[in-house]
Amino acid sequence: MTAVEARGIVKNYGSLVAVSDLTFSAEGGEILGVLGPNGAGKTTAIRVLTTILEPSAGTFSVAGVPHTKPTEIRRRIGVLPESAGYPERQTGHEFLRYHARLHGRSRSEARALADGLLAEVGLAERGGTLIKTYSRGMRQRLGIARALVNDPRVLFLDEPTLGLDPAGQRQILTTIRKVARERGSTVLLSTHLLGEVEELCSRVLILNGGRIAAQGTVAEIVRQAGAPRSARLRVASEDVERAIAALAPATAVERAEVANDQLGWLTVTLAQSNGRLSEDLMGEALRALLDAGVPLLSYELEGARLSDAFLAMTEPA
Amino acid sequence: MVAEAVPRPAPRGWLVVLGQELRDLWLGGRALLLSFAFALLLSVIAYLVATNTDLNFLEQRESVNLVLQAAVAVGTLLTLLTAADAVSGERERGTLENVLLTPVSRVELGIGKLLASLSLWLAAFAITIPYVWILGRGVGVVGNAVLVGFVVGSLLAIFLASLGLVISLFSGSNRVSLSLGLFLLLALYAPTQLPAGARRGWAGDLLLRVNPLTAGEHYVGRILVDSHSWTKDISWLVSPVLAAVLFAGAAVFLSARFIRLPGGLER
Repeated sequence: MTAVEARGIVKNYGSLVAVSDLTFSAEGGEILGVLGPNGAGKTTAIRVLTTILEPSAGTFSVAGVPHTKPTEIRRRIGVLPESAGYPERQTGHEFLRYHARLHGRSRSEARALADGLLAEVGLAERGGTLIKTYSRGMRQRLGIARALVNDPRVLFLDEPTLGLDPAGQRQILTTIRKVARERGSTVLLSTHLLGEVEELCSRVLILNGGRIAAQGTVAEIVRQAGAPRSARLRVASEDVERAIAALAPATAVERAEVANDQLGWLTVTLAQSNGRLSEDLMGEALRALLDAGVPLLSYELEGARLSDAFLAMTEPA
Repeated sequence: MVAEAVPRPAPRGWLVVLGQELRDLWLGGRALLLSFAFALLLSVIAYLVATNTDLNFLEQRESVNLVLQAAVAVGTLLTLLTAADAVSGERERGTLENVLLTPVSRVELGIGKLLASLSLWLAAFAITIPYVWILGRGVGVVGNAVLVGFVVGSLLAIFLASLGLVISLFSGSNRVSLSLGLFLLLALYAPTQLPAGARRGWAGDLLLRVNPLTAGEHYVGRILVDSHSWTKDISWLVSPVLAAVLFAGAAVFLSARFIRLPGGLER
């Protein structure tokens, strides 16, 4: 079942176009990564989809509910807004109880729910202390718990790891993975952590300048971007020049140069693939070396990365 | 797949909001601090009225009137300040978005916040009663003073809390909201400082009648000091009643549209 479907969403602030022609869908249970540089329109898009902002044009539905019924959408979604503030004088438990009550839970249900959610995000020990004493990571986990108070069908997480140290980032991503796996909710995850997106997300949406620059699986996006792929070869140090001369005319090789870190290592950038597998391209390069009589000591193929594709699609020309 | 959860309605969302706002105000300590400051101020005024040789020439009825007027003025000021923080404060602290993401309507949010701010007036009024009792003993004015003080004070509190909420809806920052609220309150009280001559005649009368604060003050004075019946000067209550009803209506109506994050048209 389609959990989120957006068709031609536009959001303008006066003459400024924040989001333009946003069309995509997310299936039930998938984790969709929403990527883009600062100002790409990620937060605006999420605010539109979570009914905080009205779209200037276009339509969307979330959990099967059309955008014309914002209250019904809010009943079915959980959101961790970017840089959300927290009431400093409330305890984590009180904060969750309040939001559970706003979602229609009785007092006793809200209390039990708050207990369960605090345990789920690893804050059971700190539920009774004031939020002002929480670290940023703890606040983010509390925010994720708050987003889960209504057992949402779709979860929107806007930069959940912003401002966290690597350990904090890892903790949040583990929590997200656990929530997605155990609850089966659809997750729209906006983040700058591309490595984690590759690991977590089944599909990716890249926004740039308010428009969709690419969407699909990581492999599809890398292919769309034609991101350069490379390999590292090791030859005897006296063969380096000969190896470069042999690789230069090969059609599979775009560029071959001395790696600047170790003696005898070459970095080879493979040519745009046009659908050919990188292994095929590498095979052609290796044949060129063997034909020239250069003994190969070792090689490693460096896979194409989402970060290459991201930069290729979002960096100004 | 997630099991198809049955989305729940949020019945009486305004009650949930009111409950939390009251906890934040009172258990958080802000309302207690303001009430303590109010009690301190009232103590000073009552002490001066009762003992100061320059002021204690006042008749007992006038003393009660003076203390009651001060209590209404300061008590309603507290509601204005609290309401003026209600939305702009949450915007500034970044806590509004989380609340807007719940199914509770903006109107219910507005009602909950408005009612919570009125609790400051109720507390101020409760604090005032012993002072009125002490100053008015023996002249049969206490019952009337408590009743008229509650009626007029409540009308003015509703008016000013609603005004504060409206200001808060449209303010980009808490500082602007509080400053503007305070300025408007001072402007409304300005006619009380006019010389007696300027307050006479039809223009002066009209000025006092259309201003809810001066009209309310005048009505209280007529009942307590001049011993008029409640009905004799009832026309002076027209503007406080109208202001309370119109501004409360406007605050609720505007909440539906303007409780929102800064920037853009939001719902």
